[in-house]
Amino acid sequence: MLKARNSLGVVFFPAFDWAISPTHPERQERLLYTQDQLREEGLFDVAGIREYKPDLARVPDVDLAHFTFPDVEHVVTSSHLISAGGAMRAARLVMEREAERAFALVRPPGHHAMSVVHGTRGFCTINIEAVMVEYLRERYGVRRIAIVDTDCHHGDGTQDIYWHDPDVLFISMHQDGRTIYPGTGFPYELGGPTAMGATCNIPLLPGTGDQGFLHMLDHVIMPLLERFKPEIVINSAGQDNHFSDPITNMAFSAQGYAELTRRLGAQIAVLEGGYSIQGALPYVNLGICLAMAGVDTSNVREPDFDPERVKQEKRITEYTESLADQLLEYFTSPPALPKHGRVEGEWFVRDKEIHYDTDSIFERQLEKVRMCGECGGTVVIESRAGSDPVCLAVRIPVGACPECAKKGHEVFELGQRSRNYRRAMLVDRPGKSVKRVLI
Amino acid sequence: MLLGIDVGGTHTDAVLVGAEGLLAWAKAKTNRTDLLSSIREVLGRIVPEAGAGRISRLNLSTTLSTNAIVEGLVEPVGIFVASGPGIDPLAYSIGEHYRVIPGCTDHRGRITSHLDLAAAREHAGACRRAGVSVYACVGKFSPRNTDFEETLKEVVHPQADFVTLGHEFSGQLGFGRRVHTAAFNAAVWRVFNRFADAVQRCAVGLGMSARVNILKADGGTMPLSMSRMFPVESILSGPAASVMGIMAVCDIQEDSVILDIGGTTTDIALFADGAPLTSPEGAVISGRPTLVRALKTRSIGIGGDSAISVVDGQVRVGPRRLGPAMCEGGQTPTLTDALNVLGAADLGDTVASRRGLGELAAKHNTDGPTLAQDAALAAVTSIRAAVIDLTRSVNDRPVYTIYELLEGKRVTPKRVYVMGGPARAMSGLLAEVFPEEVFVPESYAVANAIGAALSRPTLSAELFADTQRGRMLIPGLDVEESVGGDYKLEQAEADAARHLRGYLEHLRIPDPDTLVETVEAQSFNMVEDDMLVGRSIRVKCQIRPGVLQGYRKAVGCRC
Repeated sequence: MLKARNSLGVVFFPAFDWAISPTHPERQERLLYTQDQLREEGLFDVAGIREYKPDLARVPDVDLAHFTFPDVEHVVTSSHLISAGGAMRAARLVMEREAERAFALVRPPGHHAMSVVHGTRGFCTINIEAVMVEYLRERYGVRRIAIVDTDCHHGDGTQDIYWHDPDVLFISMHQDGRTIYPGTGFPYELGGPTAMGATCNIPLLPGTGDQGFLHMLDHVIMPLLERFKPEIVINSAGQDNHFSDPITNMAFSAQGYAELTRRLGAQIAVLEGGYSIQGALPYVNLGICLAMAGVDTSNVREPDFDPERVKQEKRITEYTESLADQLLEYFTSPPALPKHGRVEGEWFVRDKEIHYDTDSIFERQLEKVRMCGECGGTVVIESRAGSDPVCLAVRIPVGACPECAKKGHEVFELGQRSRNYRRAMLVDRPGKSVKRVLI
Repeated sequence: MLLGIDVGGTHTDAVLVGAEGLLAWAKAKTNRTDLLSSIREVLGRIVPEAGAGRISRLNLSTTLSTNAIVEGLVEPVGIFVASGPGIDPLAYSIGEHYRVIPGCTDHRGRITSHLDLAAAREHAGACRRAGVSVYACVGKFSPRNTDFEETLKEVVHPQADFVTLGHEFSGQLGFGRRVHTAAFNAAVWRVFNRFADAVQRCAVGLGMSARVNILKADGGTMPLSMSRMFPVESILSGPAASVMGIMAVCDIQEDSVILDIGGTTTDIALFADGAPLTSPEGAVISGRPTLVRALKTRSIGIGGDSAISVVDGQVRVGPRRLGPAMCEGGQTPTLTDALNVLGAADLGDTVASRRGLGELAAKHNTDGPTLAQDAALAAVTSIRAAVIDLTRSVNDRPVYTIYELLEGKRVTPKRVYVMGGPARAMSGLLAEVFPEEVFVPESYAVANAIGAALSRPTLSAELFADTQRGRMLIPGLDVEESVGGDYKLEQAEADAARHLRGYLEHLRIPDPDTLVETVEAQSFNMVEDDMLVGRSIRVKCQIRPGVLQGYRKAVGCRC
């Protein structure tokens, strides 16, 4: 009988009673064939691989990752809380040493959900990795964390949440934003002024295959992880780079995913996108589970796999190799300040426009971070969604210096008195308090 | 009148139950090398008492298949597996005649690469030359398409005494489990059939015309005729008999724990709202998981004969058994000896028990009664820990819908029912560590045989329909039909129940008590290119394990 080299906990939650709409890619059927495949293969009969059910995330868990307006109860459904709870359970398994590694194979996904949440964008409402990361920090005191997002779409939500956080290295490898939703994720997006180089984007050309992904992993991602020295590595494991995915244009295979997983060696993986629910997900998810557990994956293959189909063109190989060299240099010695934004006194300010494609909401933000030099800096966001009144969000980050903490409280107080805002929310991480005010 | 026989590892118990209650019982030492002699012995004592003609049914729970597999006393099996890509199929290899035949079926039952018939023929030839005459053919995703298994059977059938196919056991997925189940089934086929012949001859010899049924691990029975084709289904029926026994003698309505304390092990089972819990995947035997439906039980190495030892000042009971208790002539003090010393039991030579405990105690600077107390406490503490662990794992089992996760029932036992030889002697000690109420039914010593006598038939069926492909299958019942694009979940539920009832009739199982219940019913929209192209429908129905109600009243006691 087979035995796992690394014990693996799989938190499997296919949400068989939830869908965005009956024919939406994010529907009940999505993990059905994955479940069939894992059952038929006998994955949970492998010694050292166990299946777990998710925890249920609570409002305070969500509050640590998001400013949700008008409030969590209005925006978030049970399915989102369970999905985030699935990621939390994966973290709990690893931190409490019940398993060496864990994979939250849950839906709906979360990596397009940003710091402020008014609704759903890119099938995501709350960022399940971010809820998990904040849980890791709050409950287990983990400090330095790396998130490697291998979904085909740029992980813009996770990037936004950790933009100003020097302790979270966010790396996203994705199809070039000029060719696909959400249209972001360029190399110059390196993080905010207090966290330059803690955000890394690796755009890939459409048609990139196993060779290109693994080249970027070996030549950019692994060296960055080596330099950052995270306490834990998390994989935002989107499966939509697969050659059969209906909404993307890449040429990655199940074997490629398994090899990437093996080399990356993340302790925790969280499922993100992936909509080739028959042709890819069953095989890719199986390959990832086996690779995480250290079980042989050489016999895992899609039924219609054809090596010719995933072979990348020479021009893509050349582009990938030259980009890798440039990127590494860019990330290791970033410019002093971000490309977009301006300095206003002690604050660095930028304007943002966010489109919630799923819910048709258009949001404008004015985001400020205090450039204190001691800590990540207090963040202040003014947000207006559609024609709704402006909301104020203040975050005093984990490890904030006393000056930033003081400033955060001042801004929040002033904001309430100013009558400029309808709703205000303060997240004071060092003070362990969250305040919501309806003005 | 119903006759129930439970062939256990130590004792073979038999009971005769009539409408007026427990009429007779017999106990014999199990002859492990000749199980039939033990069966003949108890039958010989009971049948004349009742009158052979008045016994309408004989239910038999036997360790024959289990022992044959565990002890490796089985014949070689020629195994053909069509696995396709995935986990390396050699991981499930059993014996010397295991061969992977190229060919692949996907999760919807579509053949994605053809079966390599030449390779199959070549393997058949090799098996024939090696003198193999029983076979198992297993395909990955065969419950979704049985073609490969049927084709392989055609190849090997002319040279075979017996061929078993993976999809015949269950529509449940689990390729490795299917391989193990089919391989074990073929391996014990001949030895089990010889045993069945002998049982039948013995019954006839005693003048009986009773229908003979074999107990299964899920607490139900199957007719002897069926057991000849599916002998593997009789594995691990011992703990199931105990659970059914408790159900028979006690009116269990709440969440409960069942403890069957035997000579070497304690078997633990759980009831939710009065119904025994089944293990969702299947029984594990000889370290190999199978698709054999089983009650959820856990076995720990603590029983009356468990040896007492002191390691680093810690008193331990079990898991080893080093011969019988000292009160019965053994060399090492056991839990039974400790119970004798404490006055909880009065078994055999109690002086020997006191001497044994006293000598062991002296080596560790304590006295006999204290050591006995510590040993008994260690035993009940271990049992309680195992119960807590089992309950937790049941409550932590995965669920797949938001509804189940938010509304999920948790099992919280209110009562502990104890049976088996040491049950009465242990009840006081158990009551000290269990906050739940502890009950020992009157017939605790033969409740397992009563369970065997009263068990009803069980069957289950999994239906799979794919309306895009226009197919509906119930693999375990050998049903395959065309369905229209408008085939619905309700139709599927009705079809599954109808075919299950039909199968019962085919087996000539007349049982007015049997109720077919649907335990799972799901329908998924299949969408391709934003278009609804069909539905994937999955229905699982079963006849729940239970005991004959009419006789239950007769054997019931105040619990």
